[in-house]
This record gives sequence, C-alpha cells and structure tokens, in this order.
Amino acid sequence: MSVDTQAAGLAQLLLQREVEAFYTNEVELLDDRRFTEWLDLFADDARYWMPIARNVAFDRPEHEYTRERADANWFDEGKDDLTKRVQQIVGGDHWAEEPRSRTIHAVTNVNIVKAGEGELTVHSRIIVSQHRQDDDINHFVGKRIDLLRRGATLQVAHRTIYLNQSVLLAKGLTTFF
Amino acid sequence: MSIAANPAGGIVSREIFSSETLFAKELERVFAPSWAFVGHTSQLANDGDYVLSRVGQESVIVVREKGGAINVLLNSCRHRGMPVCRYDDGNASVFTCSYHGWSYDLGGGLTGVPKFNEGYRGGLDRAQWGLIKARTEIFYGSIWASFDPSAPSLEDYLGDMTLYLRDLLQGPDGEDDGYEVIGGIVKWKMPSNWKFGAENFSGDHSHYPTHLSVNRLNISLSGKAERHPFAAVKAPFKFLNIAHPGGHTVRANLYEALTPYESMWAAVPEVDAYYKEAHEARQKRLGDKARLYSRGGIVFPNMHYNTGGRTTIGIWIPVSAHETEVWRWLFVPRNAPQIVKDTLRHFYMRYAGPGGMTEQDDMENWSAAQRGTTGTWSRRHPFNYQLSPDDAHRAWPEPWLGKDVMVVAGVSEHNQRSFYTRWNELMSA
Repeated sequence: MSVDTQAAGLAQLLLQREVEAFYTNEVELLDDRRFTEWLDLFADDARYWMPIARNVAFDRPEHEYTRERADANWFDEGKDDLTKRVQQIVGGDHWAEEPRSRTIHAVTNVNIVKAGEGELTVHSRIIVSQHRQDDDINHFVGKRIDLLRRGATLQVAHRTIYLNQSVLLAKGLTTFF
Repeated sequence: MSIAANPAGGIVSREIFSSETLFAKELERVFAPSWAFVGHTSQLANDGDYVLSRVGQESVIVVREKGGAINVLLNSCRHRGMPVCRYDDGNASVFTCSYHGWSYDLGGGLTGVPKFNEGYRGGLDRAQWGLIKARTEIFYGSIWASFDPSAPSLEDYLGDMTLYLRDLLQGPDGEDDGYEVIGGIVKWKMPSNWKFGAENFSGDHSHYPTHLSVNRLNISLSGKAERHPFAAVKAPFKFLNIAHPGGHTVRANLYEALTPYESMWAAVPEVDAYYKEAHEARQKRLGDKARLYSRGGIVFPNMHYNTGGRTTIGIWIPVSAHETEVWRWLFVPRNAPQIVKDTLRHFYMRYAGPGGMTEQDDMENWSAAQRGTTGTWSRRHPFNYQLSPDDAHRAWPEPWLGKDVMVVAGVSEHNQRSFYTRWNELMSA
C-alpha cells in the first residue's frame, strides 16, 4: 500500500469517526433531553424535512414520498420552528410531552456518500423507541439523509427522514429524529 | 330506550365510547345511512385519475371516468372481496383484481371474467356483478358518497349546513369552489373513540388548558398573541355555536358590522396583503353575510373541518371503540400567490396532525379521556356536557343563518349536546 493510499485511507477513517462521534453526541443530547444544546447542532438556515409515505405502483417510485416545500409533510421546516418545538416541550404545559417521554435513538449504517470541501452527504438508518407514561409506546424506523456542513464543528444543514410508516401509527411526533 | 343517557340534558354515558357492542351498532345505525366526504375534485385533474378514500371503515375508489364524471366504488372485488385497487392514488383505465382476475371499468362495470364463456356457460350476468357503486354528489368541489339507497339527497341531508359547507369551500375572497387540495393526505391512528374528535370539532370552546403551550408561544402568524390568526382581530363579534337537527354543527364568529380588514398575517406581509384584498372582495361578493367568519365544525357524523386560516377537512375513520384512523386534506386558495399557499401549508403542518404543535395536545387528551371510559366503576358514571345550559334560539341572530338551526352565543357545550342528541336518536330508534 502506498503512503498516499494509506494517508487517504486514514483521512477517510478519521472523517468516518468524526461523523459517528457527531451522531453519538447528538443522540446523547436528545435522550438526555438537552434540547437547547441539540438545537446548536443545526445551522441557522437548516431545513428539517420528514415526508409522508404513500403506497404507489412499482413504476412510480418518485411518487412514494411527498415533496419538500410543495406537499403535505410530517415536517418541512427550519430552525426557528424546531426552536419553537423545543420551547414547547420545556414549558411543562405541552401535555403530549408532560410527563416527558423516555427515548432511545439509535443511528446506524453511517455512510458518507459524498465528502465535499464544505459539506458531507451522509446516509444512515435510525431506530427510535419512545415510551411515555406506563404504556404509551412508539417505535419508528427510517432512512436519514443529512447534509452536514463542515466548519469549526459539523452542523446539520439539511436533514431528510424517510419513515417507513404511511399511516402514522403514533398520535404525536413529539420526539426529534 | 336511550343509549346515551340524556344528551339534551348534558348527560352522556361513558359506555358509548368504550362498548364494542355499541360500536358495531354505530356502524349500522350512524355511519351506514349517512353521507361521507371522500375527497375533492382538485385531486382528480385528468380522466382516469383515482384516489383511495374511506366510507365508514371501508376502502373506496374515487375515480374520474372518461368525460369527467366522478364515481365512488367500493374497493372490494365481487368475487372474493379483494381490493381491486392496491395504490393510494394513480391513473387507470381498468381495475383488475390480483386474485382471480375479475376486472372492472371506471364506472364499476364488470368487464372481464376469466373463463367467462366456457366456465360460466353463459350463466353469469355481468350487469349484476359490478363493483358496489355509491351515490355520488359534488358540492362546490367536495365529493360525497352514500351507499344507502334510502338516504335523502346530499342537499336534504345537509339542510341548513349547505350555507356553512359552501362557505368553507369559498376562497378567502368569497369565490365559490375557491380551494384546491395540496399533495399528500395526512393519515394517522389514535387510541381513542372517534366521537372524542367529533365532539371537539363540533364546538368545544372551553378546552383552553389543552393549548396553553401554543398560546404561550404565539404560533399564529399574526405577530400577536395566541395560536389563531383571527385572534388578532379586535372588531366586536358574537361567538356562535350553531347546531343543525341533523347533527351538523358549526362554530363561528358573527361580527357586528362589516369592518375593514385587521391584520392577521403580519409575520408575512405578502400574505397579509392577500388577505386584506380577499377580505374586501368577500365583502363585495357576499354583502352582509360576510359578517360570518366560520372557525370550523362537523358534517355528521365523521367529517370535520377547520377554517380561519387553516382550511382542512378530515374524517374520523372508526376502527374500533378504542381506535380511530384520521385522514386530513389540506386546502389552499387556488388563485392565491405561491407565497400564500406556501405559508398556509407550513402553518397547517405546524398546527395540525401528529406533527402539529396544537393537535398533539388534543390527541393526548382524547386518548387519556378514552381510558376514563373503561373502568368498572368509572364507566358507571356519565360525562357532563352541561356548560351553559340551553338558551338556544332558532334561526338567530340572523334568519339567514338557517331556518332550522339552534344557536347559542358564547362558550357553551350546546353543539356537543346537539351532536349526541342526533347520535342518540339514530342509535335508540
């Protein structure tokens, strides 16, 4: 193995490690309910998009999920909206999260599919388990695509969450993904 | 026998929310004879376009056939009951069952039967074996279906509600059939009886603690307080609970006079400008009746809607006594500038449904109330709907509000009492 190949491999490994550490930290913040710190992981102009899945014919795969900035979506918003959601949860009067959920977020299959100078495109899978009260339980799984901006630290510039559910089997999306 | 205790007196049995026996009866007595909202013509732009919807619990195909007529067909093959349409929406010229291959045209007619000649020896009368076809009516763009041949016409079924349904479907400028559906129907399940949703939309004006958090955060785009854009308007009005004998109810502001536009969308000046212009156009178009500013309501039994800057129509799909599936159609004024459509779309998503900061708390409360309907002891004690005992006036305060409507002004459980009274009539007959 040439020195150059070795260096490139090492750089790739360090980048992979940096992204995984970013997600590990993010999950710690969410599951510890440190939502205000979690918001800091998002760029000020970040977008947070979770489309709605539809059951479509094999030859219309592009129609399977609703469109960003055009259709109805579960979420299609910016950091100011996420901030309002955090402010809602922390007030003690948002009954769907009072008492609060116990959540476990797992991010797996972290795959850096494109590493540009300023931005990374990262695919991953997420598993979210949410327990409230005694038996109010939700499980979500999905694919996630992040654009991570590279600066002094990584920041989410754009997040897409493709849930598997079409009819949502939860009465509230009160956790973050 | 009265199933629901004494709804007119504000006493409603808890059993009606938890008994599976009553739930089964409800499907026959309350849902089967009614008209169901199934969609909007803007979802079917081209011949052959279809969407799946629901009538009661059952899947139906809403399809536009060649020439533009809209049919509502039970999505159930006459041979073995399979859904003949497997997709949420699309375009088709024929629906073919994937089990044995019976196929149907867009009017539901049975056109293809494998082994038709040699297998049935001419004994199968295809005309008798088409898809079950609903009576279908279009009302200012909204599509309605009923499978009951003895149900009255939609207009008779709605009665005075035609005024309010027409108003709902008028654009902010008062133009008839002024809305279009945006892509993606929002669907979810909630662990509560459908009637908790229905009674809330019918006119629960006293569930203030539910929404403390969104009022604290001022999620309205008025730039002023609260969650509703119209909360910013200071012109004097009466808040009306309007109940129809058919069980349909409306909650509306009736302003004392035609007044100039007051800013409701200050956070987005272009949207505010649009609504100002629309407000003036609506007054010109409707005259004195433009004093009516509807906030929402229900068409009995399970269609519900919101207006007042968040025009949505939904249905409560009864899954069991303890579970409901909800579908929501989001509407934007079809002739509005794109920024208005985008702003409204964003406002709904943050307001309504499982992702909505407002309705998350509604559904939390309905599902918690559901638990209060099952206990051995708690279910023996009825719920109370006696807030502001009836001082209802017929066709009041303006006769054009409807000749049969009973109206109460102010915070009241009048609409819920009316909803359960109609439900009780059908169930106790």
